Amino acid sequence: MEIIELADLALREALKLGATDVSAICAKNNENQIRFSNNSITVTKNIKNLELFLYIAKDNKRMIGATSNPSAERIKIFASDLIKASEVISPSSEYTPLPKGEFSYPLHGIYDKKLAEDGVKLIDFAKEAVDAGIEAGATRVSGSLMTSEEEITIITSGDAKGKDKTTKILLNVRAFTNEETSGHGLSCAARIADFNPSEAGRVAGEYAKISINPHSWEEGIYDLVTMPTVTADIVQHIGSFSSAFTVDAGFSFLADKVDQKVGVDEFTLRDYGVVEGGLGGRGFDDEGAPTRENIIIEKGVLKGYLHNCTTARKFGKSSTGNAGIIEPHPWNLIVDPGMMSLDNIIKEVKKGILVTNNWYTRFQNMRTGEYSTIPRDATFLIENGKIKHPVSGLRISDSIPRQLNSILGISKDRRWIEWWEVSIPTLAPAMLIKDVTITKALQ
Amino acid sequence: MDEDLLRSTVDLAQKLGAEYAEARLHKIKTTGCLLRNGVPEPAMIGDAYGIGIRVICSGSLAFSATNDLSWDNIKVILEKAVKRAKASSSLLEYKIILSEERAINEDWRAEEKKSIENVGFEDLFEMLKNIEYQIKDGKAGVAFPNRLLVSTTLLEEKMYMNSNGARIRSRVPRLGFYSYVTTSYRGKTVTITIPSGYSQLGESGGWEVVDRLKIYEYVQKEAENLALVVKNDQKPPKETVDVVLGPDVSGIIAHESSGHPGEADRILGREAAQAGESYLKSDDIGLKIGSEEAYVSDDPTILHSNGFYLYDDEGVPARKRILIEAGVIREFLHNRSTAYEFGVSSNGASRSMSYDREPIIRMANTYIEPGDYSLEELLEDIKSGVYIKSFMEWNIDDKRFNQRYVGLEAYMIEKGEIKGMVRNPILEITTPKLWSSVDARGKEVEFVAATCGKGDPMQSAPVWTGGPDMRLRAIRLGAR
Repeated sequence: MEIIELADLALREALKLGATDVSAICAKNNENQIRFSNNSITVTKNIKNLELFLYIAKDNKRMIGATSNPSAERIKIFASDLIKASEVISPSSEYTPLPKGEFSYPLHGIYDKKLAEDGVKLIDFAKEAVDAGIEAGATRVSGSLMTSEEEITIITSGDAKGKDKTTKILLNVRAFTNEETSGHGLSCAARIADFNPSEAGRVAGEYAKISINPHSWEEGIYDLVTMPTVTADIVQHIGSFSSAFTVDAGFSFLADKVDQKVGVDEFTLRDYGVVEGGLGGRGFDDEGAPTRENIIIEKGVLKGYLHNCTTARKFGKSSTGNAGIIEPHPWNLIVDPGMMSLDNIIKEVKKGILVTNNWYTRFQNMRTGEYSTIPRDATFLIENGKIKHPVSGLRISDSIPRQLNSILGISKDRRWIEWWEVSIPTLAPAMLIKDVTITKALQ
Repeated sequence: MDEDLLRSTVDLAQKLGAEYAEARLHKIKTTGCLLRNGVPEPAMIGDAYGIGIRVICSGSLAFSATNDLSWDNIKVILEKAVKRAKASSSLLEYKIILSEERAINEDWRAEEKKSIENVGFEDLFEMLKNIEYQIKDGKAGVAFPNRLLVSTTLLEEKMYMNSNGARIRSRVPRLGFYSYVTTSYRGKTVTITIPSGYSQLGESGGWEVVDRLKIYEYVQKEAENLALVVKNDQKPPKETVDVVLGPDVSGIIAHESSGHPGEADRILGREAAQAGESYLKSDDIGLKIGSEEAYVSDDPTILHSNGFYLYDDEGVPARKRILIEAGVIREFLHNRSTAYEFGVSSNGASRSMSYDREPIIRMANTYIEPGDYSLEELLEDIKSGVYIKSFMEWNIDDKRFNQRYVGLEAYMIEKGEIKGMVRNPILEITTPKLWSSVDARGKEVEFVAATCGKGDPMQSAPVWTGGPDMRLRAIRLGAR
């Protein structure tokens, strides 16, 4: 059976069993991956999945199910299991009917047949990245290269009916020198024509090479230059904390800030279900509402939260097309470009740190946005407008609300970022943030 | 689960030219309930079932997974896996060779007294409503205005077979609870997790886990203590002091600062592009990393533990692994591939979290071994110090050398006694300094459950982290 037939069967079964609201999403995925380390392939992978996601509501009681066994026979049992389970739970005072269609969905438009073919030369791409890293000065290169193709369809009791198809290719490269310095490079694209493994390898290799002999440094307050990979990590948290569910639950630093200034004038953050070059998203959300452009922060002012039907009703708003049945979420985050070149940003810095990559962001207090994160790979001290020398062993310890109000510059160049540490696809610039606390292990 | 399907898969892989093949049918059934400020969110049912296959051809490893279990489909993905493995030779500098291990034929299951399959949503929501009732009005004059309570069950069933003759069938049920709450005082709001540090209460077993974990008592006690955190504004001391870490903190340290760097795949660089590498090198067995009082172990065989298993996903028997003994690195965590490279036998650390994830080296239940001190004895000769009982924010670099733990519930120690609370003391320290500073350990080990992230695509492994109260001498703490 085709995925639309499976979804339709699930919808009809659930309705037959008395559900008043049903959303059935069926998705077929095909992922190919190569992982490599020390210039050598460690594993190749192919993962093929067919999955069904089913939301039902009956008597204001709500259930969600996900099954990787959506045969016609199993779908009937699964729908019945959900209905039976709903009978023992309490009705929700926050039950909200699914949106009523018919809807017209934006076309995704980014499906590259070449990425969906088995013949994609992933090994050649991986080799290109490794060779470029070595040529640029590294001695060993590691990484992960993945292509994915997804075909997805939705049908709901609200007469929503849609389908979408996407592809992407993600390369994450880390290059090392004998001196144990490292550099990081990414190439993330929805089309193979936009994919550049050599550049990712070269960037990683060059960063590794120029990071040799890190100097000692003092912990304290620095202006921080975040390259796009680091900006994307900060921004994905802003995106997540803009979910109305997180706000309503009481765990967001953006709570009670709508129409208030939360950042500098130069900072605008948008989310798109479908956008040119976007690595994620689709034309419809999990409730069948069309996805769209949503401005989260415009010229430093928080314009609103991301909603599904339930949160929208509670906040007196309309759905923004970001459902998650439970939790609305961003699809593709985009930071508007600034006016500056990276060189000009660096020239602005009297005493600062340039961070090319980071990981392990953790919050001490989600309501205040106090967090720390660890720069990794190439990191540099900037003095009087110039990169002075590499440094290592840093930790950024700050709060996101403070940082949003302390952005001094945003680059005009941006890059799509999605990798192990940044799961929400984000088009991110470099940024200059004033007076960031940088700490280190003093003992 | 279709044993014949596994046998046919392994046989066909060998016929196609694989020098090694394994196949694993892996089924995970989950349920989850979420109560947000007393309102039930949609309850969740998950049902994942499929097959994961690994083949090695000419030293090259390929993994394939599908949830279409028709033989026609499996034949196709198997043929492609063998083809991919053979085609990898142009970028293959290091061949994958597995250690020789005894072939096991075994059926095993984790202890389960009240079947997890009989736990209904009414039970899970009832548990959450009881907890909600306990904490919503707060204690010590402070309320918890926001409460997000989550209960989960999981049933993991696997059947595994490899071309070395192993055949293992297993069944592990698990039950878990975690929560996020906020507390406010005079305009200040603090977000807290119970248990602290974004961890969970969780064990393997059936509904009896709720009683065994004493979930209600645990949450009540934690809530009472944490309600006080928001009222406290005392900065930690700037001078060098002695520090006693509570079990939650010593547990996360065991996991982050000993368990992860002791994973042999990280040491060999195989996780370099994602989870990172290790400060430890291949020849660091026997390296003195800490004081005579530093002891860390990892043991998958602890009855009822969240990371419980008896055989890993390469068919190797699980056993306790001694990672640090009297300050000396004793053992790394191995799968069969790293074991071969190190010239040892696998110690059974290879796990996969789903049919569509390859088995990789994982911790199970990592903990600091108990000593022989009571908490009073640990405190008694401390003139001035800090007791960091729990934490929220933490992180560690990708070599596991430079780490930080930020206290949540923390107290001043004065003349051997616990005094008033202190706000967010920061232990930011290198791994050698940390382990070298340990001079005494408490008698009682406590565990919390956690999900450990590693792999690409990401795999979240159920683990326990644990330890006793642990004393560190002469530490400088930071502050926000």
